[in-house]
Amino acid sequence: MVVGCSAGSFYAAFLACGFGADEATRLTRTLWTREITSRRNLRSLLRALFPGVLGFSADFGLKDDRAVMGRIREAFGERTFAEMKIPLFLTATDFATGEQVVLTEGRLVDAIRASMAIPFIFRPWPVQGRMLVDGFLSDPLPVGVAVKEGAQVIIAMGFESPYQSTIRSPARFAFQLSSIMTNNLLRSSFAFHNLAHHGEVIPIIPEFSRRIRLFETESIPYVIEEGERAAERQMPYLRRLLADRAGAARELP
Amino acid sequence: MTTPAGGLRRVGLVVGSGGLKCAAALGLLRVLRREGIPIDIAAGCSGGSIYASFAALDWDVDHAIEVNRRLWEKLFTRYSFKGVASAFFPRLLRFSESFGLIDDRVINASLSAAFGDSRIEDARIPLAIVATDLTSGEKVVLSSGRIADAVRASVAIPILLRPWSIAGRRLVDGGSSDPLPVDVAIKEGCEIILAMGFENPLIAGVSSVPQIVLQTSAITVNHLLKSTFAFYNIAHHAEVIPIMPSFGQHVSLRDTHLFPEIIAEGERAAERELPYLLRLLQSDRYTGVSGNPE
Repeated sequence: MVVGCSAGSFYAAFLACGFGADEATRLTRTLWTREITSRRNLRSLLRALFPGVLGFSADFGLKDDRAVMGRIREAFGERTFAEMKIPLFLTATDFATGEQVVLTEGRLVDAIRASMAIPFIFRPWPVQGRMLVDGFLSDPLPVGVAVKEGAQVIIAMGFESPYQSTIRSPARFAFQLSSIMTNNLLRSSFAFHNLAHHGEVIPIIPEFSRRIRLFETESIPYVIEEGERAAERQMPYLRRLLADRAGAARELP
Repeated sequence: MTTPAGGLRRVGLVVGSGGLKCAAALGLLRVLRREGIPIDIAAGCSGGSIYASFAALDWDVDHAIEVNRRLWEKLFTRYSFKGVASAFFPRLLRFSESFGLIDDRVINASLSAAFGDSRIEDARIPLAIVATDLTSGEKVVLSSGRIADAVRASVAIPILLRPWSIAGRRLVDGGSSDPLPVDVAIKEGCEIILAMGFENPLIAGVSSVPQIVLQTSAITVNHLLKSTFAFYNIAHHAEVIPIMPSFGQHVSLRDTHLFPEIIAEGERAAERELPYLLRLLQSDRYTGVSGNPE
Protein backbone atom coordinates (compact mmCIF):
# COMPACT_ATOMS: atom_id res chain seq x y z
CA MET A 1 0.00 0.00 0.00
CA VAL A 2 1.01 3.61 -0.46
CA VAL A 3 0.07 6.56 1.76
CA GLY A 4 0.60 10.20 0.87
CA CYS A 5 0.10 13.60 2.48
CA SER A 6 0.28 17.10 1.01
CA ALA A 7 2.83 17.26 -1.82
CA GLY A 8 3.77 13.70 -0.83
CA SER A 9 0.41 12.60 -2.21
CA PHE A 10 1.69 13.42 -5.70
CA TYR A 11 4.47 10.85 -5.32
CA ALA A 12 2.34 8.30 -3.51
CA ALA A 13 -0.06 8.50 -6.45
CA PHE A 14 2.78 8.04 -9.00
CA LEU A 15 3.77 4.84 -7.20
CA ALA A 16 0.21 3.57 -6.93
CA CYS A 17 -0.42 4.23 -10.64
CA GLY A 18 2.61 2.10 -11.44
CA PHE A 19 4.62 4.91 -13.09
CA GLY A 20 8.34 4.18 -13.39
CA ALA A 21 10.89 6.43 -11.68
CA ASP A 22 11.92 7.96 -15.02
CA GLU A 23 8.36 8.79 -15.99
CA ALA A 24 7.66 10.24 -12.53
CA THR A 25 10.83 12.34 -12.72
CA ARG A 26 9.84 13.69 -16.13
CA LEU A 27 6.36 14.57 -14.89
CA THR A 28 7.77 16.31 -11.82
CA ARG A 29 10.06 18.48 -13.92
CA THR A 30 7.32 19.52 -16.30
CA LEU A 31 4.51 19.96 -13.78
CA TRP A 32 6.15 21.25 -10.60
CA THR A 33 6.96 24.71 -11.86
CA ARG A 34 6.62 28.24 -10.67
CA GLU A 35 3.62 28.94 -12.95
CA ILE A 36 1.49 27.02 -10.47
CA THR A 37 1.52 29.95 -8.08
CA SER A 38 2.28 32.79 -10.47
CA ARG A 39 -1.29 34.05 -10.71
CA ARG A 40 -2.94 35.70 -7.79
CA ASN A 41 -6.54 35.14 -6.93
CA LEU A 42 -7.71 38.73 -7.17
CA ARG A 43 -11.20 38.05 -5.87
CA SER A 44 -9.86 36.37 -2.73
CA LEU A 45 -7.42 39.24 -2.13
CA LEU A 46 -10.20 41.81 -2.37
CA ARG A 47 -12.43 39.77 -0.13
CA ALA A 48 -9.72 39.64 2.51
CA LEU A 49 -9.37 43.41 2.37
CA PHE A 50 -13.10 44.20 2.28
CA PRO A 51 -14.81 41.28 4.01
CA GLY A 52 -17.89 43.34 4.87
CA VAL A 53 -18.60 44.43 1.30
CA LEU A 54 -17.69 41.35 -0.70
CA GLY A 55 -18.56 38.65 1.79
CA PHE A 56 -15.65 36.68 3.19
CA SER A 57 -15.76 32.90 3.38
CA ALA A 58 -13.48 30.08 4.39
CA ASP A 59 -13.11 29.47 0.66
CA PHE A 60 -10.02 31.63 0.68
CA GLY A 61 -6.71 31.34 -1.16
CA LEU A 62 -4.23 33.96 -2.29
CA LYS A 63 -3.31 32.12 -5.46
CA ASP A 64 -5.39 31.34 -8.48
CA ASP A 65 -5.73 27.56 -8.19
CA ARG A 66 -6.69 26.78 -11.77
CA ALA A 67 -3.05 26.22 -12.74
CA VAL A 68 -2.36 23.72 -9.97
CA MET A 69 -5.55 21.80 -10.76
CA GLY A 70 -4.56 21.77 -14.44
CA ARG A 71 -1.15 20.32 -13.61
CA ILE A 72 -2.54 17.58 -11.40
CA ARG A 73 -5.01 16.67 -14.13
CA GLU A 74 -2.18 16.57 -16.70
CA ALA A 75 -0.44 13.94 -14.58
CA PHE A 76 -3.36 11.80 -13.50
CA GLY A 77 -6.22 12.55 -15.91
CA GLU A 78 -9.50 11.03 -14.76
CA ARG A 79 -7.90 8.11 -12.93
CA THR A 80 -9.71 6.92 -9.82
CA PHE A 81 -8.54 5.18 -6.65
CA ALA A 82 -10.27 2.00 -7.82
CA GLU A 83 -7.90 1.77 -10.82
CA MET A 84 -4.70 1.86 -8.76
CA LYS A 85 -2.25 -1.04 -9.08
CA ILE A 86 -1.35 -0.65 -5.40
CA PRO A 87 -3.97 0.43 -2.81
CA LEU A 88 -3.61 4.19 -2.31
CA PHE A 89 -4.52 6.33 0.72
CA LEU A 90 -4.23 10.12 0.63
CA THR A 91 -4.72 12.30 3.68
CA ALA A 92 -6.23 15.76 4.06
CA THR A 93 -7.66 17.75 6.97
CA ASP A 94 -11.31 18.70 7.53
CA PHE A 95 -11.16 22.47 8.01
CA ALA A 96 -14.35 22.57 10.10
CA THR A 97 -13.61 19.75 12.55
CA GLY A 98 -9.81 19.58 12.30
CA GLU A 99 -9.94 15.82 11.79
CA GLN A 100 -7.63 13.89 9.56
CA VAL A 101 -9.52 12.59 6.53
CA VAL A 102 -8.24 9.54 4.63
CA LEU A 103 -9.32 9.62 1.00
CA THR A 104 -9.69 6.23 -0.67
CA GLU A 105 -12.20 6.70 -3.45
CA GLY A 106 -13.17 8.96 -6.28
CA ARG A 107 -10.90 10.88 -8.65
CA LEU A 108 -7.21 11.22 -7.80
CA VAL A 109 -7.18 14.85 -8.91
CA ASP A 110 -9.70 15.84 -6.24
CA ALA A 111 -7.90 13.95 -3.50
CA ILE A 112 -4.46 15.30 -4.41
CA ARG A 113 -5.79 18.84 -4.75
CA ALA A 114 -7.41 18.57 -1.28
CA SER A 115 -4.31 16.99 0.26
CA MET A 116 -2.11 19.89 -0.88
CA ALA A 117 -4.50 22.77 -0.17
CA ILE A 118 -1.89 24.82 1.73
CA PRO A 119 -3.87 27.27 3.89
CA PHE A 120 -3.80 30.88 2.64
CA ILE A 121 -2.10 29.88 -0.62
CA PHE A 122 -4.75 27.64 -2.17
CA ARG A 123 -8.40 27.61 -1.28
CA PRO A 124 -9.80 24.52 0.46
CA TRP A 125 -11.19 21.79 -1.78
CA PRO A 126 -14.63 20.26 -1.22
CA VAL A 127 -14.83 16.46 -1.27
CA GLN A 128 -18.09 14.72 -0.40
CA GLY A 129 -19.47 17.82 1.26
CA ARG A 130 -16.43 18.46 3.46
CA MET A 131 -14.12 21.44 3.05
CA LEU A 132 -10.66 19.89 3.01
CA VAL A 133 -7.28 21.53 3.52
CA ASP A 134 -3.71 20.31 3.51
CA GLY A 135 -3.11 16.99 5.27
CA PHE A 136 -0.02 18.33 7.06
CA LEU A 137 -2.19 20.30 9.50
CA SER A 138 -3.41 17.08 11.12
CA ASP A 139 -0.39 14.81 10.53
CA PRO A 140 2.56 15.73 8.29
CA LEU A 141 3.72 12.08 8.07
CA PRO A 142 0.63 9.84 8.34
CA VAL A 143 2.35 6.61 9.42
CA GLY A 144 -0.83 5.87 11.41
CA VAL A 145 -2.77 5.19 8.21
CA ALA A 146 -0.34 2.44 7.19
CA VAL A 147 -0.45 1.02 10.74
CA LYS A 148 -4.26 0.86 10.68
CA GLU A 149 -4.27 -0.74 7.24
CA GLY A 150 -2.11 -3.53 8.59
CA ALA A 151 1.29 -2.77 7.08
CA GLN A 152 4.08 -4.60 8.90
CA VAL A 153 7.09 -2.88 7.42
CA ILE A 154 6.50 0.83 6.90
CA ILE A 155 8.94 2.97 4.95
CA ALA A 156 8.28 6.54 6.04
CA MET A 157 9.79 9.46 4.17
CA GLY A 158 9.28 12.73 6.01
CA PHE A 159 10.50 16.30 5.85
CA GLU A 160 10.85 19.00 8.42
CA SER A 161 10.02 22.55 7.39
CA PRO A 162 13.04 24.85 7.41
CA TYR A 163 13.37 27.62 9.96
CA GLN A 164 14.49 31.14 9.22
CA SER A 165 17.05 32.96 11.28
CA THR A 166 15.64 36.43 10.62
CA ILE A 167 11.99 37.34 10.19
CA ARG A 168 11.26 40.56 8.35
CA SER A 169 7.60 40.27 7.31
CA PRO A 170 4.28 39.09 8.76
CA ALA A 171 4.13 36.30 6.15
CA ARG A 172 7.54 34.99 7.23
CA PHE A 173 6.44 35.21 10.85
CA ALA A 174 3.36 33.12 10.10
CA PHE A 175 5.49 30.69 8.11
CA GLN A 176 7.93 30.29 11.02
CA LEU A 177 5.08 29.60 13.46
CA SER A 178 3.52 27.05 11.16
CA SER A 179 6.91 25.33 10.72
CA ILE A 180 7.42 25.16 14.48
CA MET A 181 4.00 23.62 15.10
CA THR A 182 4.08 21.13 12.23
CA ASN A 183 7.68 20.04 12.90
CA ASN A 184 6.81 19.35 16.52
CA LEU A 185 3.66 17.52 15.36
CA LEU A 186 5.71 15.49 12.87
CA ARG A 187 8.11 14.38 15.60
CA SER A 188 5.54 13.58 18.24
CA SER A 189 3.21 11.72 15.91
CA PHE A 190 6.15 9.76 14.48
CA ALA A 191 7.40 8.95 18.00
CA PHE A 192 3.94 7.71 18.95
CA HIS A 193 3.37 5.55 15.89
CA ASN A 194 6.87 4.16 16.10
CA LEU A 195 6.28 3.09 19.68
CA ALA A 196 2.69 1.91 19.19
CA HIS A 197 3.30 -0.08 16.00
CA HIS A 198 4.12 -3.74 16.43
CA GLY A 199 6.00 -3.93 13.16
CA GLU A 200 8.85 -1.95 11.71
CA VAL A 201 8.85 1.73 10.85
CA ILE A 202 11.89 2.72 8.84
CA PRO A 203 12.33 6.48 8.69
CA ILE A 204 13.92 7.87 5.55
CA ILE A 205 14.70 11.51 6.16
CA PRO A 206 16.63 13.13 3.32
CA GLU A 207 19.05 15.83 4.40
CA PHE A 208 19.31 18.87 2.23
CA SER A 209 22.39 20.99 2.67
CA ARG A 210 20.51 24.08 1.56
CA ARG A 211 17.00 25.40 1.63
CA ILE A 212 14.67 24.10 -1.07
CA ARG A 213 11.93 26.55 -1.92
CA LEU A 214 8.43 25.45 -2.86
CA PHE A 215 8.80 25.62 -6.63
CA GLU A 216 12.55 25.42 -7.09
CA THR A 217 12.30 23.22 -10.17
CA GLU A 218 16.00 23.55 -11.00
CA SER A 219 16.85 21.72 -7.76
CA ILE A 220 14.74 18.65 -8.55
CA PRO A 221 17.70 16.49 -9.68
CA TYR A 222 19.52 17.32 -6.43
CA VAL A 223 16.38 16.60 -4.35
CA ILE A 224 15.97 13.20 -6.04
CA GLU A 225 19.66 12.40 -5.45
CA GLU A 226 19.35 13.15 -1.74
CA GLY A 227 16.25 10.94 -1.59
CA GLU A 228 18.23 8.15 -3.21
CA ARG A 229 21.11 8.59 -0.75
CA ALA A 230 18.73 8.59 2.24
CA ALA A 231 17.08 5.40 0.94
CA GLU A 232 20.46 3.70 0.33
CA ARG A 233 21.39 4.26 3.97
CA GLN A 234 18.41 2.18 5.10
CA MET A 235 18.61 -0.49 2.38
CA PRO A 236 20.78 -3.02 4.25
CA TYR A 237 18.34 -3.03 7.15
CA LEU A 238 15.30 -3.20 4.89
CA ARG A 239 16.80 -6.11 2.89
CA ARG A 240 17.53 -8.02 6.09
CA LEU A 241 13.98 -7.45 7.34
CA LEU A 242 12.42 -8.63 4.09
CA ALA A 243 14.72 -11.68 3.98
CA ASP A 244 13.71 -12.60 7.54
CA ARG A 245 10.07 -12.26 6.65
CA ALA A 246 10.46 -14.32 3.47
CA GLY A 247 12.23 -16.98 5.54
CA ALA A 248 9.48 -16.96 8.12
CA ALA A 249 6.83 -17.21 5.40
CA ARG A 250 8.54 -20.28 3.88
CA GLU A 251 8.51 -22.05 7.20
CA LEU A 252 4.73 -21.80 7.36
CA PRO A 253 2.91 -24.93 6.17
CA MET B 1 0.90 10.76 52.54
CA THR B 2 4.43 12.01 52.19
CA THR B 3 7.13 11.65 49.61
CA PRO B 4 8.81 8.31 50.15
CA ALA B 5 12.44 8.19 51.23
CA GLY B 6 14.99 7.95 48.47
CA GLY B 7 13.74 11.07 46.74
CA LEU B 8 11.28 9.24 44.50
CA ARG B 9 8.74 11.74 43.26
CA ARG B 10 5.18 10.66 43.45
CA VAL B 11 2.55 13.05 42.20
CA GLY B 12 3.18 15.50 39.38
CA LEU B 13 0.78 18.21 38.29
CA VAL B 14 0.90 19.34 34.66
CA VAL B 15 -1.30 22.20 33.45
CA GLY B 16 -1.40 22.62 29.68
CA SER B 17 -2.06 25.59 27.42
CA GLY B 18 -5.63 26.85 27.18
CA GLY B 19 -5.78 30.59 27.85
CA LEU B 20 -8.34 31.63 30.40
CA LYS B 21 -9.64 28.06 30.73
CA CYS B 22 -6.42 27.10 32.54
CA ALA B 23 -7.95 28.69 35.65
CA ALA B 24 -9.82 25.37 35.96
CA ALA B 25 -6.57 24.20 37.60
CA LEU B 26 -7.62 26.26 40.64
CA GLY B 27 -10.61 23.91 41.00
CA LEU B 28 -8.28 20.91 40.73
CA LEU B 29 -5.98 22.43 43.39
CA ARG B 30 -8.93 22.94 45.67
CA VAL B 31 -9.88 19.25 45.41
CA LEU B 32 -6.28 18.12 46.02
CA ARG B 33 -5.98 20.33 49.11
CA ARG B 34 -9.30 19.12 50.46
CA GLU B 35 -8.23 15.49 50.03
CA GLY B 36 -4.79 16.16 51.49
CA ILE B 37 -3.00 15.00 48.35
CA PRO B 38 0.39 16.73 48.08
CA ILE B 39 2.06 17.56 44.79
CA ASP B 40 5.75 16.80 44.35
CA ILE B 41 6.35 18.73 41.16
CA ALA B 42 4.35 21.23 39.07
CA ALA B 43 4.82 21.90 35.38
CA GLY B 44 2.92 24.35 33.22
CA CYS B 45 2.69 25.55 29.66
CA SER B 46 1.27 28.83 28.37
CA GLY B 47 -1.73 29.90 30.49
CA GLY B 48 -1.18 26.74 32.52
CA SER B 49 2.18 28.07 33.73
CA ILE B 50 0.35 30.64 35.88
CA TYR B 51 -1.47 27.90 37.79
CA ALA B 52 1.52 25.55 37.97
CA SER B 53 3.32 28.48 39.62
CA PHE B 54 0.48 29.03 42.11
CA ALA B 55 0.65 25.32 42.98
CA ALA B 56 4.45 25.39 43.31
CA LEU B 57 4.38 28.46 45.54
CA ASP B 58 1.94 26.47 47.66
CA TRP B 59 -0.46 29.38 47.96
CA ASP B 60 -3.79 29.08 49.67
CA VAL B 61 -6.41 28.46 46.93
CA ASP B 62 -8.56 31.45 47.90
CA HIS B 63 -5.52 33.69 47.79
CA ALA B 64 -4.59 32.28 44.36
CA ILE B 65 -8.14 32.95 43.10
CA GLU B 66 -7.86 36.57 44.19
CA VAL B 67 -4.40 37.04 42.60
CA ASN B 68 -5.74 35.39 39.46
CA ARG B 69 -8.68 37.79 39.24
CA ARG B 70 -6.40 40.83 39.47
CA LEU B 71 -3.86 39.30 37.11
CA TRP B 72 -6.26 39.01 34.17
CA GLU B 73 -7.81 42.46 34.42
CA LYS B 74 -7.51 44.44 31.16
CA LEU B 75 -4.74 42.19 29.87
CA PHE B 76 -5.69 42.18 26.21
CA THR B 77 -7.34 45.54 25.78
CA ARG B 78 -4.66 47.81 24.31
CA TYR B 79 -3.11 47.33 20.91
CA SER B 80 0.50 48.14 20.28
CA PHE B 81 0.47 50.90 17.67
CA LYS B 82 3.98 50.00 16.54
CA GLY B 83 3.12 46.31 16.27
CA VAL B 84 -0.01 46.87 14.20
CA ALA B 85 1.66 49.45 11.96
CA SER B 86 4.73 47.26 11.33
CA ALA B 87 2.46 44.49 10.01
CA PHE B 88 1.18 46.87 7.35
CA PHE B 89 4.49 48.52 6.50
CA PRO B 90 7.08 45.83 7.28
CA ARG B 91 9.97 47.50 5.41
CA LEU B 92 9.37 51.04 6.56
CA LEU B 93 8.82 50.18 10.21
CA ARG B 94 11.35 47.35 10.34
CA PHE B 95 9.19 44.35 11.03
CA SER B 96 11.15 41.98 13.24
CA GLU B 97 10.99 38.79 15.28
CA SER B 98 9.74 40.78 18.27
CA PHE B 99 6.39 41.38 16.61
CA GLY B 100 3.17 41.49 18.65
CA LEU B 101 -0.20 43.19 18.13
CA ILE B 102 -0.98 43.79 21.80
CA ASP B 103 0.65 46.41 24.00
CA ASP B 104 2.34 44.09 26.51
CA ARG B 105 3.08 46.65 29.22
CA VAL B 106 -0.13 45.74 31.06
CA ILE B 107 0.61 42.02 31.15
CA ASN B 108 4.25 42.57 32.16
CA ALA B 109 3.17 44.77 35.07
CA SER B 110 0.40 42.35 36.08
CA LEU B 111 2.76 39.37 36.15
CA SER B 112 5.28 41.33 38.23
CA ALA B 113 2.48 42.32 40.62
CA ALA B 114 1.31 38.71 40.93
CA PHE B 115 4.67 36.98 41.33
CA GLY B 116 6.98 39.78 42.44
CA ASP B 117 10.58 38.62 42.28
CA SER B 118 9.80 35.03 43.27
CA ARG B 119 12.15 32.65 41.53
CA ILE B 120 11.42 29.21 40.11
CA GLU B 121 14.26 27.62 42.07
CA ASP B 122 12.94 29.06 45.33
CA ALA B 123 9.38 27.73 44.95
CA ARG B 124 8.35 25.35 47.71
CA ILE B 125 7.55 22.62 45.18
CA PRO B 126 9.83 22.05 42.17
CA LEU B 127 8.45 24.01 39.22
CA ALA B 128 9.08 23.82 35.48
CA ILE B 129 7.66 26.16 32.86
CA VAL B 130 7.61 25.34 29.16
CA ALA B 131 8.13 27.77 26.29
CA THR B 132 9.18 27.48 22.63
CA ASP B 133 12.35 28.86 21.04
CA LEU B 134 11.14 30.99 18.10
CA THR B 135 14.41 30.50 16.20
CA SER B 136 14.92 26.74 16.52
CA GLY B 137 11.31 25.66 17.16
CA GLU B 138 12.49 23.60 20.15
CA LYS B 139 10.70 23.18 23.41
CA VAL B 140 12.50 24.99 26.24
CA VAL B 141 11.98 23.91 29.86
CA LEU B 142 12.62 26.81 32.24
CA SER B 143 13.65 25.61 35.70
CA SER B 144 15.28 28.70 37.14
CA GLY B 145 14.91 32.48 37.04
CA ARG B 146 12.06 34.87 37.83
CA ILE B 147 8.65 33.22 37.67
CA ALA B 148 7.18 36.39 36.14
CA ASP B 149 9.69 36.18 33.25
CA ALA B 150 9.16 32.47 32.66
CA VAL B 151 5.37 32.83 32.66
CA ARG B 152 5.61 35.83 30.31
CA ALA B 153 7.67 33.74 27.86
CA SER B 154 5.34 30.74 28.17
CA VAL B 155 2.19 32.81 27.47
CA ALA B 156 3.66 34.76 24.54
CA ILE B 157 0.80 33.84 22.17
CA PRO B 158 2.34 34.38 18.74
CA ILE B 159 1.07 37.38 16.80
CA LEU B 160 -0.74 38.79 19.88
CA LEU B 161 2.15 39.13 22.34
CA ARG B 162 5.73 39.79 21.37
CA PRO B 163 8.24 37.06 22.19
CA TRP B 164 10.16 37.27 25.48
CA SER B 165 13.91 36.83 25.66
CA ILE B 166 15.50 34.73 28.38
CA ALA B 167 19.22 33.93 28.42
CA GLY B 168 19.60 35.14 24.86
CA ARG B 169 16.82 32.95 23.44
CA ARG B 170 13.72 34.50 21.93
CA LEU B 171 10.84 32.54 23.45
CA VAL B 172 7.18 32.20 22.51
CA ASP B 173 4.15 30.28 23.75
CA GLY B 174 4.94 26.74 24.89
CA GLY B 175 1.76 25.55 23.14
CA SER B 176 3.58 25.66 19.79
CA SER B 177 5.96 22.87 20.83
CA ASP B 178 4.22 20.89 23.58
CA PRO B 179 0.75 22.03 24.76
CA LEU B 180 0.64 19.54 27.66
CA PRO B 181 4.24 18.82 28.74
CA VAL B 182 3.68 15.57 30.61
CA ASP B 183 7.26 14.53 29.86
CA VAL B 184 8.65 17.10 32.30
CA ALA B 185 6.94 15.20 35.13
CA ILE B 186 8.02 11.85 33.65
CA LYS B 187 11.67 12.96 33.59
CA GLU B 188 11.39 14.06 37.20
CA GLY B 189 10.38 10.54 38.14
CA CYS B 190 6.71 11.04 38.97
CA GLU B 191 4.72 7.86 39.36
CA ILE B 192 1.35 9.52 39.14
CA ILE B 193 0.85 12.46 36.81
CA LEU B 194 -2.26 14.62 36.87
CA ALA B 195 -2.45 16.18 33.42
CA MET B 196 -4.96 18.95 32.90
CA GLY B 197 -5.23 19.83 29.23
CA PHE B 198 -7.47 21.84 26.95
CA GLU B 199 -8.28 21.53 23.28
CA ASN B 200 -8.54 24.68 21.25
CA PRO B 201 -12.10 25.41 20.15
CA LEU B 202 -12.67 25.34 16.40
CA ILE B 203 -14.70 28.00 14.64
CA ALA B 204 -17.81 26.68 12.89
CA GLY B 205 -18.03 29.30 10.14
CA VAL B 206 -14.64 30.88 9.45
CA SER B 207 -15.28 34.38 8.13
CA SER B 208 -12.06 36.41 8.13
CA VAL B 209 -8.33 36.08 7.56
CA PRO B 210 -7.48 36.22 11.29
CA GLN B 211 -10.01 33.41 11.85
CA ILE B 212 -8.27 31.30 9.21
CA VAL B 213 -5.00 31.88 11.10
CA LEU B 214 -6.66 30.86 14.38
CA GLN B 215 -8.38 27.83 12.90
CA THR B 216 -5.22 26.60 11.17
CA SER B 217 -3.11 26.84 14.30
CA ALA B 218 -5.89 25.43 16.52
CA ILE B 219 -6.14 22.34 14.30
CA THR B 220 -2.39 21.68 14.40
CA VAL B 221 -2.01 22.39 18.13
CA ASN B 222 -4.95 20.06 18.93
CA HIS B 223 -3.28 17.28 16.96
CA LEU B 224 0.02 18.09 18.68
CA LEU B 225 -1.73 17.84 22.05
CA LYS B 226 -3.23 14.46 21.19
CA SER B 227 -0.11 12.95 19.68
CA THR B 228 2.26 14.10 22.46
CA PHE B 229 -0.21 12.91 25.07
CA ALA B 230 -0.64 9.55 23.35
CA PHE B 231 3.14 9.19 23.16
CA TYR B 232 3.82 10.13 26.79
CA ASN B 233 0.99 7.91 27.91
CA ILE B 234 2.46 4.77 26.33
CA ALA B 235 6.05 5.76 27.03
CA HIS B 236 5.45 6.28 30.75
CA HIS B 237 5.48 3.22 32.95
CA ALA B 238 3.34 4.69 35.67
CA GLU B 239 0.00 6.47 35.60
CA VAL B 240 -0.98 9.54 33.61
CA ILE B 241 -4.44 10.71 34.60
CA PRO B 242 -5.94 13.12 32.07
CA ILE B 243 -8.19 15.75 33.58
CA MET B 244 -10.04 17.47 30.76
CA PRO B 245 -12.62 20.04 31.82
CA SER B 246 -15.31 20.70 29.24
CA PHE B 247 -16.99 24.02 28.91
CA GLY B 248 -20.39 24.40 27.38
CA GLN B 249 -19.36 27.61 25.70
CA HIS B 250 -16.50 29.33 23.92
CA VAL B 251 -14.15 31.00 26.42
CA SER B 252 -12.14 33.91 25.00
CA LEU B 253 -9.19 35.71 26.59
CA ARG B 254 -11.49 38.52 27.71
CA ASP B 255 -14.16 36.37 29.40
CA THR B 256 -12.82 37.01 32.90
CA HIS B 257 -16.39 37.10 34.27
CA LEU B 258 -16.50 33.33 33.66
CA PHE B 259 -13.79 32.55 36.24
CA PRO B 260 -16.16 31.18 38.92
CA GLU B 261 -17.74 28.81 36.39
CA ILE B 262 -14.33 27.76 34.98
CA ILE B 263 -12.97 27.01 38.45
CA ALA B 264 -16.13 25.06 39.33
CA GLU B 265 -15.76 22.97 36.17
CA GLY B 266 -12.11 22.28 37.07
CA GLU B 267 -13.33 21.04 40.42
CA ARG B 268 -15.93 18.77 38.79
CA ALA B 269 -13.38 17.39 36.32
CA ALA B 270 -10.99 16.66 39.21
CA GLU B 271 -13.74 14.96 41.21
CA ARG B 272 -14.51 12.64 38.30
CA GLU B 273 -10.94 11.30 38.47
CA LEU B 274 -10.66 11.39 42.24
CA PRO B 275 -11.84 7.84 43.07
CA TYR B 276 -9.24 6.40 40.68
CA LEU B 277 -6.51 8.69 42.04
CA LEU B 278 -7.30 7.74 45.63
CA ARG B 279 -7.27 4.06 44.74
CA LEU B 280 -3.84 4.47 43.15
CA LEU B 281 -2.49 6.35 46.12
CA GLN B 282 -3.75 3.68 48.50
CA SER B 283 -2.55 0.72 46.48
CA ASP B 284 0.61 -1.10 47.57
CA ARG B 285 2.54 0.15 44.61
CA TYR B 286 2.50 3.69 45.92
CA THR B 287 2.73 3.30 49.67
CA GLY B 288 6.38 4.19 49.45
CA VAL B 289 7.74 1.18 51.33
CA SER B 290 10.88 1.34 49.24
CA GLY B 291 13.63 -1.13 50.03
CA ASN B 292 11.00 -3.76 50.58
CA PRO B 293 10.38 -5.42 47.22
CA GLU B 294 8.28 -8.55 46.77
